Amino acid sequence: MAADIALVGRSAAQRGRASSIGDVVFRALTFLFALLVLLILGGVIVALVEGALPALGTFGVAFLFSDVWNPVTEQFGALAPIYGTLVTSAIAMLVGIPVAFGVAVFITEICPIWLKRPLATMIELLAAIPSIIYGIWGLFVFAPFVQQYIQPNLIDSLGQIPGFGALFAGPPLGIGVLTAGFILAIMVLPFISSIMRDVFETVPAILKESAYGLGATRSEVVRQIVLPYTRIGVVGGIMLGLGRALGETMAVTFVIGNAHRISVSILQPGTTISASLANEFTEAVGDLYLSSLIALGFILFVITFIVLAMAKLMLLRLQQRAGG
Amino acid sequence: MSPPQASARLAMPVVPSDPDVRDPQLVPGQKAVIRNVDFFYDTFRALKNISLPLHDKRVTAFIGPSGCGKSTLLRILNRIYELYPGQRATGEVLVDGENILAPGLDLNLLRAKIGMVFQKPTPFPMSIYDNIAFGIRLYERLTRPELDDRIEAALRRAALWDEVKDKLRQSGLGLSGGQQQRLCIARAVAVEPEILLLDEPASALDPLSTQRIEELIAELKDDYCIAIVTHNMQQAARSSDYTAFMYLGELIEFDETERIFTHPTQKQTEDYITGRFG
Amino acid sequence: MSIYTRRRIANGVVMSLSVAATAFGLLWLVLVLWTLLENGIAAITPALFSQMTPPPGSAGGLLNAIFGSVVMTLIATLVGTPTGILAGTFLAEYSRGSRFGEVVRFINDILLSAPSIIVGLFVYELMVVRMGHFSAWAGSMALAIIVIPVVVRTTEDMLNLVPNALREAAAALGSPKWKVIVMVSYRAAIQGMVTGVMLAVARIAGETAPLLFTALNNQFWSTNLDAPMANLPVVIFQFAMSPYADWQVLAWGGALLITLTVLCLNIGARALASWSTFKQ
Repeated sequence: MAADIALVGRSAAQRGRASSIGDVVFRALTFLFALLVLLILGGVIVALVEGALPALGTFGVAFLFSDVWNPVTEQFGALAPIYGTLVTSAIAMLVGIPVAFGVAVFITEICPIWLKRPLATMIELLAAIPSIIYGIWGLFVFAPFVQQYIQPNLIDSLGQIPGFGALFAGPPLGIGVLTAGFILAIMVLPFISSIMRDVFETVPAILKESAYGLGATRSEVVRQIVLPYTRIGVVGGIMLGLGRALGETMAVTFVIGNAHRISVSILQPGTTISASLANEFTEAVGDLYLSSLIALGFILFVITFIVLAMAKLMLLRLQQRAGG
Repeated sequence: MSPPQASARLAMPVVPSDPDVRDPQLVPGQKAVIRNVDFFYDTFRALKNISLPLHDKRVTAFIGPSGCGKSTLLRILNRIYELYPGQRATGEVLVDGENILAPGLDLNLLRAKIGMVFQKPTPFPMSIYDNIAFGIRLYERLTRPELDDRIEAALRRAALWDEVKDKLRQSGLGLSGGQQQRLCIARAVAVEPEILLLDEPASALDPLSTQRIEELIAELKDDYCIAIVTHNMQQAARSSDYTAFMYLGELIEFDETERIFTHPTQKQTEDYITGRFG
Repeated sequence: MSIYTRRRIANGVVMSLSVAATAFGLLWLVLVLWTLLENGIAAITPALFSQMTPPPGSAGGLLNAIFGSVVMTLIATLVGTPTGILAGTFLAEYSRGSRFGEVVRFINDILLSAPSIIVGLFVYELMVVRMGHFSAWAGSMALAIIVIPVVVRTTEDMLNLVPNALREAAAALGSPKWKVIVMVSYRAAIQGMVTGVMLAVARIAGETAPLLFTALNNQFWSTNLDAPMANLPVVIFQFAMSPYADWQVLAWGGALLITLTVLCLNIGARALASWSTFKQ
């Protein structure tokens, strides 16, 4: 036995050296590709800044506040796309957050066990449907429907209120800011709902049982135990949905109307940053036009980066609190 | 003679009766010697000045209440703690005269010579054949028939051959708990180690499987130096030749098993063995 | 009205609203899928798979677009998957608590949700401008950049699920770390990792924005990766926005194809995931 081990030892020593080379190489390889992830982000920032510089240099800070968009005179301003991006996302949040919350509450608190998985899967399929599908559905099905049934009613009812009614003024076109915002709501609600669900499930059962044991109703447990406990995570999930809504392209491009203007009425067409890019980039003639579009992209990147970073930080904090 | 191990907590010196331990240098019959070993989890000192020998072809049991450091001590012997940053050991562990705690030692080669079986069975997600072949293939180039023979021999040693000989290609995960643990034992002996470390190998198993594992250990000791950590005192009394009783990171008493269980010299040992605490 | 009755009514209202919200969400899913099927089924003919995209006013199919999408998706997966797996392996196995690992993880999650049109702009600046023309290579790279964060995330999550005891058992036999990872950890996590790749493919199958200014489009059959290549999403975009009826029908057909692919991959991935947890 001892002789055998000595023999094994000799070739094993050679094997030992070879495998430590294997360890070094493999570790270096994985490190390099992890570094690549950082480099991609760095590359994105550099590329966007490089492309945006001519436009930003020409227009300066005024770029952010001008709503002029004239390829002929080469005057460009980001205000209309930024406005459209923010308003459509705001509508998406207004509609999407309560619905997502309702879905999360239903799945975690009310739903019978056998229904949970299939239901959760179906809601998540909403997220799986590609953006362009929502786009053509929006254009050919939803917008005409809105034009025929919804918008006239809105104009006749809410549009008549003095002051506030200006939000619903104008002819019923079907396409427009409201339609785009609503479709965005449907698209982001599965993301928000899914995070809310995960976060609701982290509430220790003992905590909820103590409340039920005192005779609390389900809605009271949700509102007074679950929500406060998961507050940070819920906000994180909402911000993640917002990040998605801000960057959504194809669905919005089809139904927003692509008009570089700011209107008070949400029934009017407008544009968002991503819709402008999608529509105009390949047709853009002239370096300043192109650079202005890339500058728009850069602004979008900065906005979404900040929102997503905040979302991630909040979700990390909730994770730490939950112990892991 | 080395100074007696003073235990400040007990305020009484430990005087082991085994002459080998009083002067822990390499003595014929001893496979390994643990000398003045401390172990740290970051700044927490989990093992305090442990010294004891491990005799070849004998079973040495480490017993003691939870948290006494017996598993920690076992895991020093194959330096498996090195997988985790912040854990470190000081002192010496001589295996065949060579200090395995020395820096710069090839850990993989060390672990090929010192086998370990864990508390929960850990079959790899591969076939039974590949599970056993895994360790062999790391360091040896064998032909197919040689490999087949080695695997059969290992499975026979682990008393598992008859049960799995027709399903060597099936996944190891399909076996019962007791069978999986015997698979892990077969896997460990297949690479022909010199020392076998068993960390509570039967604690996750039903009584019948536990009995079979104990019978296995009794057979295996003819060929290996075995160190076993166990929570089960009766198991230690039945299966081992030497016993080390530990408490809160210190070695309280080390002696031949028969003497520890019939005439312990330390009160703490006696209290533990009679079940007054644990 | 007693306090208790008021509470019961409040509870009823909240619960009913949740049910209504869920029904609302499901309603849209059904509506979208139904109209997709209704409008797209007319286009599903053998011609769809055998003829090229036609000029307006004539009959045709989507063969070049289907081919282009398949090719670019394949290249993106081949490039993005090993990259993502290796980066995810670093995060799970080598970066225990290190600052660098935390930063990579953070950045990766941001890339995961970043607007895909930004990725398109990045690859435009990086490849299209430098090469001087649009190409299928650029399109594939844009899709690969979308694949990478998904695979990194799922690889890291799946590897973290592998119990440490398994790694210790392999190390205790004298196995070097890279073999522990490749031969034991990967094997233990393989099903989860495959699921991750399937979900990544489902994601890029429908992506339009990153292809808009990288691969562009191509009216004709082309196998030249160094030139613009037809692909389903951009063709759908072009045809749907046009005023031509036969183009619009083809757009619906393409949309149906993409959706079926995406749904099958998604449901398949979930089935695989629950089958593997069931097995264990």
